[in-house]
Amino acid sequence: MKGEKRKVILKEKKVEIPLAKEELEVVGKQVIRKDGYEKVTGRLKFGADFDKAGFLHGKVLRSPHAHALIKKVDVEKAKALPGVVAILTAEDVPGRNGFGAIIPDQPVICGEKVRFIGDGVALVAAESEEAAIEALKLIDVEYEPLSAVFSPVEAMKPGAPKVHENGNLLTTVRIRKGDTEKGFQEAEVIVEQTYSLPFVEHAYMEPDVAMAIPHEDGTITVKGPMQAPFTVRRNIAPVLHIPISKVQCVQTHLGGGFGGKEDSSIDIGVRAALLAWKTKRPVRMEYEREEVTLSTAKRHPMIIQCKVGAKRDGTLTALEGTIYNEQGAYASLGPIIPPAGGTHAHAVIMLPGPYVIPHVKVDGYLVYTNHPYGGAMRGFGAPQVNFVHESIIDELAEALQMNPYDLRMKNCFELGSVTATGQVLDQSIALKETMRSAADQFEWFKRWRPPPSKEEVEKVEKRRGVGMAIGWYRTSIGTFSDGCGANVYVHEDGSVILHTGITEMGQGSHTVLAQIAAEELGVRIEDVRIVVPDTDIVPEAGPTVGSRSTTLMGNAIIMASQAVKASILEAASEILGVPAERLVARNRLIFDRDDQTRGVEFKEAARRALATGKRMMGQGWWAPPRPSFDVETGQGYPYFVYTYNTQMAEVEVDTKTGHVEVIKVVACFDIGRAINPILVEGQIEGGIMMGLGYAMMEEVLLKEGKVQNLNFQDYMIPTAMDAPEIVPMILEDPNRYGPFGAKGIGEMPNIPTAPAIINAVANAVGVRIRDLPAHSEKVFHAMRGRRG
Amino acid sequence: MKISFILNGKKIEIDAPPDRRVVDLLREDLNLTGTKEGCGEGECGACTILVNGESRLSCLMLAPQLEGQKVTTIEGLASAEKLHPIQQAFVEFGAVQCGFCSPGMVLASTNLLQKNPNPSRAEIREGISGNFCRCTGYQKIVDAVEAAARKMKI
Repeated sequence: MKGEKRKVILKEKKVEIPLAKEELEVVGKQVIRKDGYEKVTGRLKFGADFDKAGFLHGKVLRSPHAHALIKKVDVEKAKALPGVVAILTAEDVPGRNGFGAIIPDQPVICGEKVRFIGDGVALVAAESEEAAIEALKLIDVEYEPLSAVFSPVEAMKPGAPKVHENGNLLTTVRIRKGDTEKGFQEAEVIVEQTYSLPFVEHAYMEPDVAMAIPHEDGTITVKGPMQAPFTVRRNIAPVLHIPISKVQCVQTHLGGGFGGKEDSSIDIGVRAALLAWKTKRPVRMEYEREEVTLSTAKRHPMIIQCKVGAKRDGTLTALEGTIYNEQGAYASLGPIIPPAGGTHAHAVIMLPGPYVIPHVKVDGYLVYTNHPYGGAMRGFGAPQVNFVHESIIDELAEALQMNPYDLRMKNCFELGSVTATGQVLDQSIALKETMRSAADQFEWFKRWRPPPSKEEVEKVEKRRGVGMAIGWYRTSIGTFSDGCGANVYVHEDGSVILHTGITEMGQGSHTVLAQIAAEELGVRIEDVRIVVPDTDIVPEAGPTVGSRSTTLMGNAIIMASQAVKASILEAASEILGVPAERLVARNRLIFDRDDQTRGVEFKEAARRALATGKRMMGQGWWAPPRPSFDVETGQGYPYFVYTYNTQMAEVEVDTKTGHVEVIKVVACFDIGRAINPILVEGQIEGGIMMGLGYAMMEEVLLKEGKVQNLNFQDYMIPTAMDAPEIVPMILEDPNRYGPFGAKGIGEMPNIPTAPAIINAVANAVGVRIRDLPAHSEKVFHAMRGRRG
Repeated sequence: MKISFILNGKKIEIDAPPDRRVVDLLREDLNLTGTKEGCGEGECGACTILVNGESRLSCLMLAPQLEGQKVTTIEGLASAEKLHPIQQAFVEFGAVQCGFCSPGMVLASTNLLQKNPNPSRAEIREGISGNFCRCTGYQKIVDAVEAAARKMKI
């Protein structure tokens, strides 16, 4: 059935695109998620649900200073408190006193100085939580406050307080393509603006928890909601000064992660492990909501200057950008490891947007400050820069008096386009199709009108407007750690066990990956059981990030499935007397392609395979084509494939109060192939909602380095009352390197939402918000400012 | 002090200090860990339980407040192995992702449909607005509650 047109899933419309794959049984189907039953009945155990009996309670003493030297730590009084088992300070760390996802620059326990409010100064283990809390109060720390720095621009100035020994500038990444001076000379219209983005909290619903259990043989087990168990393991071993092989990390189901639990599970895991190691007893640590907000990673704030030039007809000629990316106190997932990687490099690469621009110059500075630190959060630097390129494209469209759709269509990527890093996009790129489909669905050309004049705005109490934004996002990390393995075991009754280190955090990976295995083996999804990721058992998978799980792990699972399937087909061939090459496995049956009446049950073939000594397991290992990236020129192929997206939003603005209501969002994605459409829709809707929060309300407020909104009472996230109608649309332009043509979806939906909404606000009331979030007060003042 | 109440249809009596939070009583003393704690300050709704059929936040309640009341936790909603229609709809309509908010969300929806068996989508959104979900964007939750309402009327 090659070449046949396949109906693509759209909420309300049908679109047809060519399909290169034969008809499938499990992939592409609305398979119910495997953990749904356990979750709605409350039976699924999250980290905090495991029995606490026998565990000591661990706590962290946190710094009240943003920047200070530690002169003395007196633990004697705390140690004497009944129930206290151990108080640890920096000297008690047996190995490396540092952890971090990329650079281990964050002390497990600060010894010489503290770098942000929330830094760990001592650890406590006690028989009861009450005793642990009481002990924290009895630890006497003498600080010598230092002057602190709270802005990346200030931190780059000579003489600024040094957050780390080697200075505040952590990484510089540049793009140099063509000659921007020439490009701006060719331009007939130039727009130049500065935008700023705030710290944002992941606000995963499940606070962090870790359980560490030391064993008599010198090994240690750490359990908890880890987004990247292998990264946690890689950090625990050197801190305890033991080999990696003696550390076992076991994941518990994550109650949300969004990138945050890549970092936070290292933080809490390393500290719980250290307490367990020193006390030789099981230790349990739990961070309360306030502690999570205070001390764990956030989305990087950025200040971005951007300048674009275009011909009168809208053809882009040049783009220049400068990114001041605030890393905060520790490196986390900010910096780069060549040939690519880190939030910062990703932001630089993404700043020119999905546009063909002949001359590009970007300078990105990643800078330490005495604030909490930036890490991975859904979009990994892209939501910030997407807000910039999609805002400035709209501002340019206004200057050119063009429909912003037409300006985008004229310049955006298509097959064969060359990116600012010099990468040729030679496959799986349906960006323009996503624009057309979204515009059709949204009725863009019927609804878009040029922004109103001041007088027009003042005439009515509520004004509606529409806005759009487009985006691209990588599938993969683009660094050394992209390789991933899977093991598939077939048993004599036809049931299957799949070993994968990709973690389930709600996104549905364990359903999607089981679908891929079931499809490839020819069994049903209920036949496949995924073992909870345990670093002692499953092969290295890299982290569950970068929208990479379905594509990269999917390929490893296909390879593993094929390897073991060979045994099963060989056994079936012996039973049927038909050459194995002619056999097809589907839906628990194996049959002769040429004579479909001749077949054998999968389990019968499996039984024979075991009985005749055939291999009952398959291993797969897959890494994408090797990436390349030069940090000085920004040239290379940083990621092997990209997902593309168009979002269109309609808003209603109250012209008296500045209140913005998002009415509707239409979002169309080219994701190569939807392995499980309902889960893809779930990613789309959830990502858009998080993007709405970014646009309208979310901001970690800081005052002299101290977080002001630690709980949900003050840190607002969207509720059901904020939810617009969302129309998710899926297009499938198959990815040559993806399992069944798939590419990533997890992060993309979270990216163009904010600029689409802000562009709609500008379209409604003629004011442009360049610093997020656009809460009512800000919109109100902007309108009043315009009224002069 | 001794507290007696009806928990998931069974009369129980338990010893608890008067300042014991209900969420701790359920999760730790009674091992009913289906009730979650997301913020401890009554903001997120993950700890929602039903007290005499009404949604209550168990992190803001103290054990003595349960005296003589009828309490339903997520563990008590499904009968034997059969899911409640709301639970079933949550699974089928993709209203569950990480699942941490699901028990509270399902119970808040139960309370909503008891009060208003025929809610509009706007009324559903209002009915679950005290329960945060960071994963789904709420749309599929509203779909699920709407579908469950239809099914429960049949």
